[in-house]
Amino acid sequence: MSLEYSITYKAENTYENWVHDAYWQFLIIPQLNRSQEFVEVDFRNSINAINEHSINGYGFQTIRIHPKKKFKSISFIARFKLLKKDINPFDFEPEQDHEAAYKTIEALEFRVNHAIFLKTTPFTAVPSKKLNLYTFNKEYSIFENLQHLNRWTSEHLLFKTDVTDVYSTLDEVLQKRQGVCQDFTHLFCALARLNGIPTRYISGYLHQGNGYFGDSQMHAWAEAYIPKIGWVGFDPTNNILANSNHIKVAHGKDFKDCSALKGIVYSIGTNKTRHSVEVQSTDQ
Amino acid sequence: MENIENQIFSSYQRNPLLFDEIFDQGGEVKDVYAKLFKLYGEHSINDYVKLNDKAKASFFNQGITFQVYGENETKEKIFPFDLFPRIIDPQEWKVIENGSIQRSKALNSFLWDIYHDKKILKQGIVPIDLINSSVNYLDQMIGVDPPGGIYNHISGTDIIKHNDGQYYVLEDNIRCPSGVSYVICNRTALKRALFGVFNHYQTHTVTNYAENLLELLETVKPKGVDSPNVVVITPGMYNSAFYEHSYLAKTMGVELVEGRDLFVENDFVYMKTIRGPEKVDVIYRRIDDAFIDPLEFRADSALGVPGLFSAYKKGNVTLANAPGTGVADDKAVYTYMPEIIKYYLDEEPILNNVHTYHCSRPDELKYVVENVEKLVIKPVDEAGGYGISIGNRLTRDEIETVRKQVKENPRKYVAQPIMSLSVHPTYIDDSESFEQRHIDLRTFTILGKDREFVLKGGLTRVALKKGNLVVNSSQGGGSKDTWVLKE
Repeated sequence: MSLEYSITYKAENTYENWVHDAYWQFLIIPQLNRSQEFVEVDFRNSINAINEHSINGYGFQTIRIHPKKKFKSISFIARFKLLKKDINPFDFEPEQDHEAAYKTIEALEFRVNHAIFLKTTPFTAVPSKKLNLYTFNKEYSIFENLQHLNRWTSEHLLFKTDVTDVYSTLDEVLQKRQGVCQDFTHLFCALARLNGIPTRYISGYLHQGNGYFGDSQMHAWAEAYIPKIGWVGFDPTNNILANSNHIKVAHGKDFKDCSALKGIVYSIGTNKTRHSVEVQSTDQ
Repeated sequence: MENIENQIFSSYQRNPLLFDEIFDQGGEVKDVYAKLFKLYGEHSINDYVKLNDKAKASFFNQGITFQVYGENETKEKIFPFDLFPRIIDPQEWKVIENGSIQRSKALNSFLWDIYHDKKILKQGIVPIDLINSSVNYLDQMIGVDPPGGIYNHISGTDIIKHNDGQYYVLEDNIRCPSGVSYVICNRTALKRALFGVFNHYQTHTVTNYAENLLELLETVKPKGVDSPNVVVITPGMYNSAFYEHSYLAKTMGVELVEGRDLFVENDFVYMKTIRGPEKVDVIYRRIDDAFIDPLEFRADSALGVPGLFSAYKKGNVTLANAPGTGVADDKAVYTYMPEIIKYYLDEEPILNNVHTYHCSRPDELKYVVENVEKLVIKPVDEAGGYGISIGNRLTRDEIETVRKQVKENPRKYVAQPIMSLSVHPTYIDDSESFEQRHIDLRTFTILGKDREFVLKGGLTRVALKKGNLVVNSSQGGGSKDTWVLKE
């Protein structure tokens, strides 16, 4: 069964002074994958600058704008229509041999192949005194441990906006024990990686119809690699597995690799920026 | 100390513990310098001083200057030049040249491997942690095939001669190595001042560098391009090597641009010209990775070109050197060079590596901490000779400080035995005579598609401060013309 979603992404920028040159790069197009299929992409801006479709350093689709005339304000609106397959996140063979699986992840070949998602980055660095904050119990399977970690993370932090910002490190998050989806995800990624599990940061959209935590911005969750199973999505903000309400845009090591909008604006003075995201299921 | 009989060398003091490039242990002039020694001997020290001033003036007149970054101010200086050339005989040169090529090729294979199959890491020959912890490894380069398969198009290899008479490599510089313009300008200045002397030797030319660089850059053009448009990109006139950037662009006959002169449209790179946009195919970039594209790397970079990395990733433009090359220029990777050469080329290293202690290994850290006074301790990621501690020059307090720094952050440091750099007679203004000064050599190797070139010469740097071992130009070093003799 497929669900049809309609997603609207809006961004508005106003500047105190004329902007003579600017570049924006949007990383907001849903990824095409085995559970996501496109119907429509529509992207417009208020000054009719041309959209350039490209890829970023990690191979994800981007839209770049480089206006050819000066302006003081510019707004963007993107509309995506998407078919999302309703795949049961538990639909895989459970791991039989726990010991073999743990041996696999400890092997050098595995650690080299997955090095990029095992690395510590500034956003996923656990303070050195807390390196044993969460240790896997090897009597359970990797999947079970990740599920426990997902629950643990969701309980360890309290969802609260405006406590942290996009620059917050885990040191700060762990002291405040509050944050938003980005912080929950960084913590989950960091702890899973410390236990030897390749884990990537996912940026995307969340359909909030079911009362999930998120906000009117983009959502973040994680994907962890389990030998013989592959990448499995975990949403530690909501203590659930990623499901048909999670629409993936991009992945990376942390938030920095996935930021939805990057802008290089040559102007002086102050500016204001506003974003909003709306996800609607057209079947409802 | 012994004095040498020759008018301009009458007060030359020879320290028998040091390897002198022109005098052997018995104080005799080596064959290769004999003619030069005789010719110089016909002059008085006053003649020499006049000639030296003339040569210096030629540098000022050509505007060959560089900047030294100080704590409070930045100064523009001329690179001190010494008229007494260094001579390398053909047999020794062959070793240096073959060794430089060998290292460049091995590093290129290493870079390809760590961004593709990662075999050397999977076999545990080079530890994966070394790559994981390197800020110069770019995840964005994984799986990217640079045009022509080349990463380190331009390498600067720093080589010294130890007191055992053997050459050792100290560093492989493969980010944006500079200095080649001085090689060529030194030759020009020397020829102007001492044309008569120069003509007595059959010396290889160094003025063919730019044409070879251009030719080799053209071999790594993007697919589908017939005759590539090459440019040199510079961070601008405030960069310490700006003179070199403009010199290379001028002598290659290509445009010198800054980031703001280029733009990217639909993943192709264009240069703004008065005739309209002109497509650019190959960029010899003298800007560090972090600054080349503010949309992909440091967003605060005003030096780069937004979208440049996407254009590169799509194969529409060549960047020389390739992004991510700096990971192999890490001083910790250096220590694995003998293994890297054997692994990819199945050859024995032609040039020696200096034995290196990794402070990241507990037993080696212990040795380093206990023997600071016998070692040179270097941070793994600083260029330009900054942050280096030479153990036998430190006070007790300084030794303690170094111990503390190393223990706090072992991954950041490597240590090597103190090498005794060879010395060369060098004219010293203050004493108005020739004195022994330590020297090294930077060779310049260019890799193209199925082609390579080593400049037959190189930059001989001189530590002008008495007893100083750091020959870097930003640390008060000078340079000498380097003659590679024809067979």
